[in-house]
Amino acid sequence: MNSKAIIVSNLTKKFSFSAKNPSFSWIKNLFYPEKKEIIAVKDISFSVNHGERIAFIGPNGAGKSTTIKMLTGILFPTSGEVSILGLDPTKDRKKLAYQIGTVFGQRSQLLPNLPLTDSFEFFGVMYDMSEEDIKKRIIELVEIFDLGSFVTQPVRKLSLGQRMRAEVAVSLIHKPKIILLDEPTIGLDVVAKKSLRDLLIKINKEENTTIFLTSHDVGDIESLCDRTIIINHGVMVKDLPTSDLAKAFVYEKYIDLIPEKIFNNFPLLPHGIRYSLQDKNKITVIVDINKINVQESLRKLLDLFLVEDIDVYNADLETVIRHIYERDSISK
Amino acid sequence: MKEIRLANKILKTLIKDSFQYPSRLIADTIVVIARCGVLLVLYWYVFKLNNGVINNTTFLFSAWSIFFYFSLSTLKLRQISRLIMQDVQSGNVEVLFSKPISYLFYRMWWQIGEGLYSFLVITVFAVIILFLIIGFPSTMLIGIFIPTLILTFIFAVILSLLLYSIIGLLSFWIEDINPVFWIVDKTIMILGGSYLPIALFPTFMYKIALYSPFGASQFVSHTVYTSWQTNWYKLIGIQLFWIILMGFIVYLIFRKVKQRVSVNGG
Repeated sequence: MNSKAIIVSNLTKKFSFSAKNPSFSWIKNLFYPEKKEIIAVKDISFSVNHGERIAFIGPNGAGKSTTIKMLTGILFPTSGEVSILGLDPTKDRKKLAYQIGTVFGQRSQLLPNLPLTDSFEFFGVMYDMSEEDIKKRIIELVEIFDLGSFVTQPVRKLSLGQRMRAEVAVSLIHKPKIILLDEPTIGLDVVAKKSLRDLLIKINKEENTTIFLTSHDVGDIESLCDRTIIINHGVMVKDLPTSDLAKAFVYEKYIDLIPEKIFNNFPLLPHGIRYSLQDKNKITVIVDINKINVQESLRKLLDLFLVEDIDVYNADLETVIRHIYERDSISK
Repeated sequence: MKEIRLANKILKTLIKDSFQYPSRLIADTIVVIARCGVLLVLYWYVFKLNNGVINNTTFLFSAWSIFFYFSLSTLKLRQISRLIMQDVQSGNVEVLFSKPISYLFYRMWWQIGEGLYSFLVITVFAVIILFLIIGFPSTMLIGIFIPTLILTFIFAVILSLLLYSIIGLLSFWIEDINPVFWIVDKTIMILGGSYLPIALFPTFMYKIALYSPFGASQFVSHTVYTSWQTNWYKLIGIQLFWIILMGFIVYLIFRKVKQRVSVNGG
């Protein structure tokens, strides 16, 4: 068996559409409209090993969903190649569908008026499983996902958290080797998010299911994925272990200064230090340690401010990701 | 085999779903009574004013012809156009495209399943009631009637699904298919004999009803007339011709559609 579950080479997707040109007559706009083109994904390449848990992240409009849809064979690439478990999604979409599971966080695949068991049975038949296998698998999934208390309830009566657990469970009915999740935790509360993340880790460990997810939620990335690929403006910006993501901005330190009374003025800071937050009750500064070390910057800050408490820390993951997006946007 | 099992599962699931909402059946029954019932009363009066015979046909034949049209319409096959449009507009198409199924095959069986329960219940009860009130015309008691009715009914279902699927698939190109849907739907209603029984059509219109795919999708309304006894093989042949042609067109359009899929967020 190929050690790579997913191989993507030089993948590009362009969308072309007609746009009305106000300088054209309506007849010209109708018959010869102006053609515009958007490059949603531009020349991206990466590969994923079996059993890996990948976060595929980026700001809105970055090309995440487009990429996921090309991986599942829903969208046809303009150029480049995709191989999922050795299959070409554009040519072998149906064959591939038996091997993968998909969850689109904003769309439901469940049967809303019927009990959850009906959705399991329905999709079991869709994946051509025997009645016996369907029954066995339902028992397994109900246990793993702790669905027992609501499996006989109509889907429309489930809470959002229960429904998302059910969505993921149903997408695993046929024991897929890869599960692709497009924003699975969107709209969930913190408890439901954690529960879903834990279940995905469990499925990954117990069934060696490769997990490929897009998310805007840093918690999903931090707690679930061992590798992160960042995409912005359709271009791959970073591909690194999630644990190394925070180190990407390790040259920046954050210092919180808490005033003895209150801060009344905010003087010009020394070279290499800049304000992140200016408040009468708290100042946060960012220190570029390539320009000034922490000890020196602390000494200079204490000369400028009368403080009661100081806290020095690295940027959290959310800030790091935001920096990457912003830096990339500026460079564009 | 897999396709038959899936089709069977879709039908069973949707009938089960229909049981959850008995009010839907009541609503469908009211629609049929309102539309078909009112038309039947009007035509009963029109025939009475003409001494019971218009264009060599009687109310008995026309009533059953209109009824067969409405019976087929309770399957709501026309709604497949809007279902496809909703899939495209909502982006739900991506969920179905990621499954190991043919999207159109799935949607066609789904549409049949949506109306099957109402169709069965309404048709059975309406046949009994209509029989008790006006009786059967002699043409419905001939041996060939039932098998040819079933055959032309099945072909009508297939042809209707193909015609309305073509309109639905247009939503991959145009945002709102409603104007096209409206034109085709009304053409089918008129040529199918829902407003005016086909026996009362002027010759040119009868020919359009006979040779166009729109009229052919409603040949069930022809089965009660005497001409059906001698012409059924010709009419079923016409249906078959349109099924093959429309099937080919659907195939070509769907091939293009697969490369045109574009949903929100990609």
